[in-house]
Amino acid sequence: MECYSLLRADVPALIDHLGKFGEVVAPHRKGDVSYSFESVLDSSQVVLDYNRTLLPLKKLFLPPVEKLMDFSLKNMSFDPVELTTQPRVFFGVHSYEMQSILRLDHSMLSGNAESNYFKRRKNSRFVGISFEPDDFHFSESVGIAIEEMEGFDLFLNEIDDDFQLYVLSDNGRSLIQGFKQIRTVEAELSGKREFKKKIRYHYNRLPRIFQYAYKSKVWADVAEKCVGCGACTLTCPTCFCFDVTDEVSVTAEDGLRQRTWDSCMLSTFAEVAGGENFREKTINRTRHRLYRKFKYITDEEGLPWCVGCGRCTAFCPAGISLPDIVNELIQEDEKAQYHHTVRV
Amino acid sequence: MKPQVAFFDFTSCEGCQLNKLNLENDLLDILKHVDIVEFREAMDDKADHYDIAFIEGSISSPSCVERIHDIRRRSDILVALGSCAVNGGINAMKNLHPIDEVRETVYGKDKYLFATLPAMAVSSVVKVDYEVRGCPMNQQDFLKLLIALVLGKQAPKYNSPVCVECKLKENECLYNRGMVCLGPVTRGGCDALCPSFGQFCTGCRGILSNPNLDGMLEIMTNHGISLDEAKKRMLLFNSNEVQL
Ligand code: SF4
Ligand code: SF4
Ligand code: SF4
Ligand code: SF4
Repeated sequence: MECYSLLRADVPALIDHLGKFGEVVAPHRKGDVSYSFESVLDSSQVVLDYNRTLLPLKKLFLPPVEKLMDFSLKNMSFDPVELTTQPRVFFGVHSYEMQSILRLDHSMLSGNAESNYFKRRKNSRFVGISFEPDDFHFSESVGIAIEEMEGFDLFLNEIDDDFQLYVLSDNGRSLIQGFKQIRTVEAELSGKREFKKKIRYHYNRLPRIFQYAYKSKVWADVAEKCVGCGACTLTCPTCFCFDVTDEVSVTAEDGLRQRTWDSCMLSTFAEVAGGENFREKTINRTRHRLYRKFKYITDEEGLPWCVGCGRCTAFCPAGISLPDIVNELIQEDEKAQYHHTVRV
Repeated sequence: MKPQVAFFDFTSCEGCQLNKLNLENDLLDILKHVDIVEFREAMDDKADHYDIAFIEGSISSPSCVERIHDIRRRSDILVALGSCAVNGGINAMKNLHPIDEVRETVYGKDKYLFATLPAMAVSSVVKVDYEVRGCPMNQQDFLKLLIALVLGKQAPKYNSPVCVECKLKENECLYNRGMVCLGPVTRGGCDALCPSFGQFCTGCRGILSNPNLDGMLEIMTNHGISLDEAKKRMLLFNSNEVQL
């Protein structure tokens, strides 16, 4: 692997250099204890050690609110937004976040490709960075190592406070062309960092757990605490549900159509004409959320649709933990297996 | 002919009416669509029939009941404006105390001169067709409803928590800043106004139709306030809506 050493102090210079390709987006501080992906205005403000951003990188490919068209009631005409995109470099991206983009690619681009997503997605470059797992990360349990480099053009691996820079694609090579503050070294993939949070089973055993978990008692316990605020799904990097609404201006002559992120955890999500609601109870919604992560899509694609970023857990006001739910389902399954064996 | 529109106020601070008068930029556009025939704070005029009557304030005395019946009889569409009209709002805290005690506190020895009732939502007395929530009522909501009515379209309804808009704006959650917020069980539509300015949501737009109140109380007490205080916060705007 093509590998260079890079001093921590030289990272802002690297970010400035990446700016030659296009807009650079990177993690910044936000509020008291949080982070968010923002456009880089001053490379010294970019944060290299962060746990997770409030919203995932998804927000820059599938924006929370997006205008789709203008329309005129007067002329009975409409005018779709023709999106033009510029090259962008996403810097300081964690491996689970990159994996979430690859999963979103699948959701958005297979079959009928979502054109705005596609336009934003092409012309994108990704520069990864290693991270120190906190109490909520569990990406290793869903098969994503800290140094998983799939999807990245470049990757910064922190070693003894400085970095090793791996070049992973031709695009990556041209990104650093002419950048002088690096020198060739031997790659040493550390593997020293430990995850505190784990799912007890390998992820390839989870579909079987979920196959028998539909009637589990665990769902009711979760539903008792869950207030249905939607934070878990709205901040999830692999969730993609949205709603489309028309807004008419005060002149009542024109307006716009927009789409807005929606969430299956909201009690209105599955409400249909006539007032029927086929997932009215929290218990059904919580179960649905986890089945979307570990069963429905997984059955088709062979991968968990959760990347272990820990957002749903870290941002749940009720402290509901997704890996804990999965571990409880595993435990319940083990008990059932045990009973069965004893009786036979 | 343009729809004839009227505004009436009942027990309230009249903040909602003022909020409408603040719509300077859009006021001229509004007047292209409707004729305002009664609006105590803006003009003085009476009519026999209204296409749309907007009601501000809660119903809290026998004379209020009489007046709202009269207005309902003369109106095709009746809209509750603001928390007081929609669910009794702050006024409904009165209902948490014995009515005699309340009268005495307010009127002292003259209490028998003033007839009073529990503070009620307009919909507790007459049929309400639409509502604009918030304390004060949200201007954008008001405009959207008005336009929808003029166009004969479905009026927007809000039944998703404040957290949704708060997350879409990528606000840092106030629970991460040591505050206690009612956003998870409060109806959104305000663009998460308070949390966006670092202030916790006090629930002014009312409680969701399908809330988990026990779960909400548990969240609040887990974040450092007593159960008593948590209940008080929840009742502030919603004494008529929640039984705790
Ligand atoms: S964030 Fe927590 S409380 Fe909110 S909907 Fe998700 S699980 Fe329920
Ligand atoms: S389910 Fe939770 S941990 Fe998994 S990707 Fe979504 S937010 Fe992250
Ligand atoms: S600050 Fe309040 S409204 Fe915003 S996400 Fe947190 S609990 Fe919800
Ligand atoms: S955030 Fe809460 S208190 Fe503030 S305007 Fe919205 S509903 Fe009312």
